[in-house]
Amino acid sequence: MKGLLLALSLAAPAPAPAPEPPERELRVMVFDPTSLTERWRKLQDLAERFEREHPGVRVRLLADGGSASLTKLNILLAAREPIDVVWCDVVEFTSLWHDGALLDLQPYFDADSAWRPEEYFPGPLDAFRGSDGHLFGLPSTFTPYVMYVNRDILAEEGLAFPAPEWTWDDLRDIALRCTGEREDGYRWGLSITQWLQALAPWIWQNGGRFLSEDLSRCTLDEPEAVEALDFLLRLFHEDRVVATDATYEGQVTRGEFQAGNVALYGPVGYWEVYRFKQITDFAWDVHPLPRRQQAATSVALRSYCVTRYTGEPQLAYEFVRMLAGEDMSRTLARIGNGVPGLRAVAESEDFLRPDVAPDSEHVFIDVMEHARFLPVHASWREIESVVRDELQGALLFGKYDAETACRRMTDKVNAFLERERADRSRPRANVPLLGLALAGAAGLALLVGVRLMGPRPGALRRREERAAARLLALWGTGFVAFTLGPMLATLGLSLLVWTPVRPLLEARWAGLDNYAELTRDDAFGQALAVTASYTLLSVPLTLALALGLAVLVRRGLAVFRTIFYLPVVASAVAVGVIWRWILGSGFVEAALGAKWIESEAWIVPGFVLMSLWSIGGPMLVFLAALQGIDGALYEAARVDGASRWRQFLHVTVPQLTPAILFNLVIGLINASQTFAQPYVMTDGGPGNASLFYVLYLYRTAFRFHRMGYASALAWVLFVALLALTLLVMRSSRRWVHYEGRVA
Amino acid sequence: MRLARTVLLALLGMAFLAPLAWMVNASLKAEGEAVVSPVAPPEVARWENYGAALRQMGAFDDSGPYAGFLQLAANTLLITALSIAFQILTCSLAGYAFARLRFRGRDVLFVLVLAAMMLPAQALVIPQFVLFQQLGWIDTFLPLLVPCLLGGSPFFIFLFRQSFLTIPRDVVEAARLDGCGAFGVYLRVMLPLSRPVVATVAIFTFLAAWNDLWTPLIYLSSPENQTLTLALAGFSRTYRVAVEHLMAASTIVLLPCVVVYFLAQKTLVRGVQLSATKG
Repeated sequence: MKGLLLALSLAAPAPAPAPEPPERELRVMVFDPTSLTERWRKLQDLAERFEREHPGVRVRLLADGGSASLTKLNILLAAREPIDVVWCDVVEFTSLWHDGALLDLQPYFDADSAWRPEEYFPGPLDAFRGSDGHLFGLPSTFTPYVMYVNRDILAEEGLAFPAPEWTWDDLRDIALRCTGEREDGYRWGLSITQWLQALAPWIWQNGGRFLSEDLSRCTLDEPEAVEALDFLLRLFHEDRVVATDATYEGQVTRGEFQAGNVALYGPVGYWEVYRFKQITDFAWDVHPLPRRQQAATSVALRSYCVTRYTGEPQLAYEFVRMLAGEDMSRTLARIGNGVPGLRAVAESEDFLRPDVAPDSEHVFIDVMEHARFLPVHASWREIESVVRDELQGALLFGKYDAETACRRMTDKVNAFLERERADRSRPRANVPLLGLALAGAAGLALLVGVRLMGPRPGALRRREERAAARLLALWGTGFVAFTLGPMLATLGLSLLVWTPVRPLLEARWAGLDNYAELTRDDAFGQALAVTASYTLLSVPLTLALALGLAVLVRRGLAVFRTIFYLPVVASAVAVGVIWRWILGSGFVEAALGAKWIESEAWIVPGFVLMSLWSIGGPMLVFLAALQGIDGALYEAARVDGASRWRQFLHVTVPQLTPAILFNLVIGLINASQTFAQPYVMTDGGPGNASLFYVLYLYRTAFRFHRMGYASALAWVLFVALLALTLLVMRSSRRWVHYEGRVA
Repeated sequence: MRLARTVLLALLGMAFLAPLAWMVNASLKAEGEAVVSPVAPPEVARWENYGAALRQMGAFDDSGPYAGFLQLAANTLLITALSIAFQILTCSLAGYAFARLRFRGRDVLFVLVLAAMMLPAQALVIPQFVLFQQLGWIDTFLPLLVPCLLGGSPFFIFLFRQSFLTIPRDVVEAARLDGCGAFGVYLRVMLPLSRPVVATVAIFTFLAAWNDLWTPLIYLSSPENQTLTLALAGFSRTYRVAVEHLMAASTIVLLPCVVVYFLAQKTLVRGVQLSATKG
């Protein structure tokens, strides 16, 4: 045991040898070291400079988790980890602000004689004000949404480059003229992006809005919004000028523009400039969005903020000022991170870079005059998700007309708003009492369990029991501490309404309402259906194929055993990227008449196919079990004159039943918890056709910040899986053969 | 018959290899080439993508050419090696108790083992994080390692149990007659006869620890404490991913897994025919 402790203490990363520990520490979690090297280097520079200017202060730079940074931030905030400076997306800001997780920086700005708000673009700055007008952060870079234009296609079709004040009608004309079969293949007039911030400009341009002025109800069913969506729907389904197979948010979308097959692409942000720099075989440019009643665009941006749990508010404020200052802004501008929030840097050559495409880079600054921001509200993540699902349902699959789609969105959003209001009027929960009650219930269950165990056995048996207790000690300790405890906590949470970034003591009592809500939740039904159909398809196929392969590769070249296992070896990140390409590629399209990853009907079978590709795990289990079969059994069968097939049926299969049971149970549990692949590849899309159960749970917990409801989801899955497993285990007594079973 | 099998395997093998071949292919392409022509071989094989990927993964430390990458690799190796040792120890002991010992409440406890897998990890993460935080383990390897030693994976306990159950009773009886106690039977009979399963658990643990993204993401925040897979995920940041670098990095992270598996599968197959036929 001592040896193990020693090993553990070795395993802990050695603390940096600090002769005199710094008195104060500032923990900064703003970028990820792997994502953009220059940006991280500059951050290191700034941290060193800050330490020189503030003796006795150490700046600790932490990785923000890259693409998973919001999840990480939520967990750290929920646990009150002392993080000082964070980098926060504008949509996330609205909910963090709403939940009181960020520090009001206004007093620090007021006391700062060097603070000149006019140095920053007003829109991006104001986006980080609370509804009381107080400033909570400073922008790093931002990007308004614009349209990308393939100049060569326009020229070939004899079309002039559109005027800056072009209209929806101009857009439609261009798209109609450019769509059709050309010498080098089919060409599309448009590629339209479909998420909340990309949809917003169309609605604003037509004079519509998302929420009423007092933020109390959704107004997407007003005629202006319906008309805007109707315009888009006509482009898709009547004019057929939109590359529908190229609209998925991801590689494929920009791939079509990048390949030169699309005349106009947008609304989309500055980030594509960086990517399209690689384009060499045609000329392209950026252009303001077309207008209707008025000009409008939405803006994506990030800001440096300070968390409420900081112990060093003044230092954190000063570090934010340094991050949002000229030095970092110039670096971000040079590497193409976006438009710098500092005006002087945005107007400098660091950003405008006259030698680099596009010619009209200044458009990104000009359109800011028409920039609009979503009002500060806690529910944007949920609204975002509904809008995306419904929008894809309407635009990609033509499921609804504009009026129906808008009404569906409005109803769903109003339901959230209603729920939020109801939640606010719930009574405070008595969390300590709930904890005690749970612990008490667990203790009681233990007592009853011991009672039910039956009478004390004789001396010999008691020795065996003591041996078992010793053997199970390692497992038992960890099970109680790391699994049972957190499971009970989750059970308690499922009875509450709790936003993780708020203190747990402020949670409200929900009783069984979270469970009752499940019965009314469409997304829950969809998640169940997706997961069940995936599990029913993938588990039996996996078992059969893995068993077949194991028998085939058991003898023969070792290289095959490796090949079939290889896919399991690859990390989910790489596998996801690879399969996105395969499922979205030409030959699958030719076979099915639709791109797999964009088809509602085929997306789940696509995931099943992916799961078959990685059957190396169950195959290995079968292989190990095959090796354990006593050769004498086969010999006996041969002596009896059994054919190979009969040997397989009467020797191999019965001997493998323990392994089959194992793969079946594990397969059921794993398949119903599928998360990584849809998370990396589709994020539940298209529409919500691949909304797997755990993906929905994850969204609920970490995007919608509804820990109570997510816990209820978890417990429902838990109970269902437990019942299923018990059923299988019970039935196994009839069909599983153990050579050495003891009663 | 043998030829038919080889042909079948070769065809299947190609289907299994194609996506990985695509990955290596894409890793050698020029910037943007993989987007425009995804299937064609690279115009010029750009091995420098690999250097770039290594440098980017280890970007936090520029004291040497690949200092950052080596630090990440060392972290990953340490975590992986200890995880394997811990999992084999804890899970085989527990699996043995569940398979071969009689004690009251055994079946209920075993269902609890499996139950630990049934509540999605995403729902447990906040309580677990708070627990490790109270222990002062945030930003150390302990939240990754201690649960392997104390607790172990239900998956492996189940696997060991299934394997131990198939060992014939008379082998065990013979060992008992030779004077082995419960632990002696575990050490002298169960483990040696289950070498393929031990190898399987080692492989699975290696891959699980090597490719784990979620736990290191949440618990390891200092750049110098991070793992290779975490650095790989850093590449996939939504709007800035360079496909060819991502694929080069994926290949680099994948390679040790392939080697380890190839070596381990030999043990797996050589296995225990000898000892098993004896019984």
